Amino acid sequence: MKLHWKIWVLIIALIVAALFIAPWAMFEKGVMIKSVEKNSTELSIGLKSGMIIREINIYPINNLEDYTRAVSEIFSNINQSIKITIKTTENSFILFTDEQLKITVGEIPKSKIKTGLDLSGGARALVKPQNVTLSDLEIADLVAVTGARFNVYGLKDITIKPVKDLQGINYLLIEIAGATPTDLETLVGEQGKFEGKIGNQTVFVGGKDISHVERSGQRAGIESCSAQQQTEMCRFSFPISLTEEAAKRQAEITGALTISSEDPQYLSEKLDLYIDDNLIDSLFISKDLRGQVTTQISISGSGTGETRADAIKSAEESMKKLQTILITGSLPYKLEIVKLDTISPTLGKEFTKNLIILALSVFIIISVILFIKYRRIKITATVVLTMFSEAFITLGIAALINWNLDAPSIAGIIAGMGTGVNDQIVIIDESVSNAHISLKERIKRAFFIIIGAFFTIIAAMIPLFWAGAGMLKGFALTTIISVLAGILITRPAFAEILRKIQED
Amino acid sequence: MENKNSPEIRKGKNWFDKYYKLMFIVPLLIIILSVAYVSYFYSQTGEILQRDVSLSGGTTITLNNGQNNIDFDNLEKQLKEKYTDITFRKLTDLRTGEAIAFMIESSSQPEPLKADIESVIGYKLTEENSSTEFTGSSLSNNFYKQLMIALLMSFILMSIVIFIMFRTFVPSLAIIFAAFADIVTPLAIVDYLGIRLSAAGIAAFLMLIGYCVDTNILLTSRAIKTREGSVNSRIFGAFKTGILMNLTALFAVLPAFFLITGLPDSFRQIFLILALGLTADMINTWLTNTSIIKWYCTKKGIE
Repeated sequence: MKLHWKIWVLIIALIVAALFIAPWAMFEKGVMIKSVEKNSTELSIGLKSGMIIREINIYPINNLEDYTRAVSEIFSNINQSIKITIKTTENSFILFTDEQLKITVGEIPKSKIKTGLDLSGGARALVKPQNVTLSDLEIADLVAVTGARFNVYGLKDITIKPVKDLQGINYLLIEIAGATPTDLETLVGEQGKFEGKIGNQTVFVGGKDISHVERSGQRAGIESCSAQQQTEMCRFSFPISLTEEAAKRQAEITGALTISSEDPQYLSEKLDLYIDDNLIDSLFISKDLRGQVTTQISISGSGTGETRADAIKSAEESMKKLQTILITGSLPYKLEIVKLDTISPTLGKEFTKNLIILALSVFIIISVILFIKYRRIKITATVVLTMFSEAFITLGIAALINWNLDAPSIAGIIAGMGTGVNDQIVIIDESVSNAHISLKERIKRAFFIIIGAFFTIIAAMIPLFWAGAGMLKGFALTTIISVLAGILITRPAFAEILRKIQED
Repeated sequence: MENKNSPEIRKGKNWFDKYYKLMFIVPLLIIILSVAYVSYFYSQTGEILQRDVSLSGGTTITLNNGQNNIDFDNLEKQLKEKYTDITFRKLTDLRTGEAIAFMIESSSQPEPLKADIESVIGYKLTEENSSTEFTGSSLSNNFYKQLMIALLMSFILMSIVIFIMFRTFVPSLAIIFAAFADIVTPLAIVDYLGIRLSAAGIAAFLMLIGYCVDTNILLTSRAIKTREGSVNSRIFGAFKTGILMNLTALFAVLPAFFLITGLPDSFRQIFLILALGLTADMINTWLTNTSIIKWYCTKKGIE
């Protein structure tokens, strides 16, 4: 049987959606690395979060229980360094240790579909600066700084993004998946402490002592690039202005330093930058600065990469990070948590289970009603298949754009399925009525109604993209995707299949 | 499909021709009653609906029941003494009927409420055994205002789409009127039942705007855009298709609160409002709009 191109479009859409969702991940064996401790041997030998562990020494790892058992047996009573071989899907890693592995692992996600906080558990904070309205650039700084600070605390699976509401007010939305630290509120609500230290003496404190950071223009940017063996290295620099007081303090501290024995261009100690007392960067201090009271100092650093372009990119990224850190203590406002939700992962599991049962019961109920009405297995099966396709394609697109499906998003998918069924009923009824008009004309009429209904639903959902800082965007998004998938892909195919059934 | 000469249809036709104007009265009464109730509600509370803490500011704490077997009645009694505005709700499992979780809402800040709950149940609340949602009052007021603006915008955009589609005044207006009725009746019922609406609940009203007009579009386009058979048979044909649409849509949303109760609250509110709206829509399409369309066709001489 030759298939019409509309049916081919549907088949291809379903295959592509399946590729995006990747449900076969549920058959994959192993455990996934969730995080690797900072400055650990594990990190230095190349273990990274996201890798899948299949084997440790002789123990095959199929799931979390296997991992726990293997680790407890290996480390049960050792008093000297032993060899640990970790096999991942792609590589083998060997390390010698007498301590527990400095990694955390979790189950491999069953598919690429991500669930929202209300279903997976975690924390969400909506943050707003007190009494000021931020520009887009300022909010981007805030995002970068908050990200840098959270990194320092080793928090994983975080998304930090700016959101805007209908009135144009900027917020910062922070979402953390899974169990969350209890001090989250302090962490989010406080501005963070940024310090520059030489040895253990504080030279300047972010904000208070830095009056200006030059971020662009002639004096800020990549200075030079050079090739070293196989790698390219680029240096950047940018000037900052210190207050008088900080400049004097710097002169005092640097005055006591000597010239570095390794590199006579620089002083013997480095300038260490700290966020909330965690070291994040060390900078060389030029020998010319020794004992000088200068308010203008130049901060420099470098980036490396395999190609020149990579090196430039890496240098620019480091520069941007440093600039943001230096500016931020100087955020001239306090942050206010306007919404803070912490959702228990246990309850989320229960919700997810019930949502799946609900979706199945909706499928069954609709099938039964349609079968009672039309008494034709083929027609009923086609409607059910179409409904399934719409939901599946919507999930595929959600997986593709990394959308976190929360409860309203899933409500949107089910509601979208509802309108889908309605449209198919219109197509069926038009196609069986008025036998003296051509089938093509009747289907065309059906599509007039369908397209009208489509535009009204789009019109109704669009304002939700902005209202309430986009907290209900998911609902609007899934509804629109599913009606869109319906009108462009599944309903034309459905009409075609129906035509075939009618002709037989 | 329609056989105009069958006695059944002929009888329907006669009845319809005679009484179609009267059909308008029942829904009109419902709409007037709904508007009156919402207005009364407004005069009493200063609001057209009751907002939950996500839209008025405050804290929701959800306790997982788990193995703890919380004495919920006792907890409710003790907390009510201290917090006057507190509300309680139980989420139960579909099969066993056992409580999965308890939801406690109050306009209070999270810390004092948490501390009071802890002192009654005798253990500490953690991220594992409970969820806490807090919304500041200025933000929630802002959210509420914006959702209301969004609702209005949705309605206007929908109206524009309808006018562009049909390009005739009365039939378009009839659809828009039906859509208005589809919103106001569920709103009156929600107000009457004392349900506190969340942001998701208001989003459901937006969805109603898009969801309910499709049967109206079906009716209007069959009645005035096509010419096969008589007006009555076209309307009746549209009714047969449309009522099936209404019923399947309604049955698709009903299980969410009759069968499965252990669902996120936002989800259940969306479905409750959709169910109310779809029911209202059956009346508004097949009584209100049908009678207007029939009257319009008679006036315009559309056969």
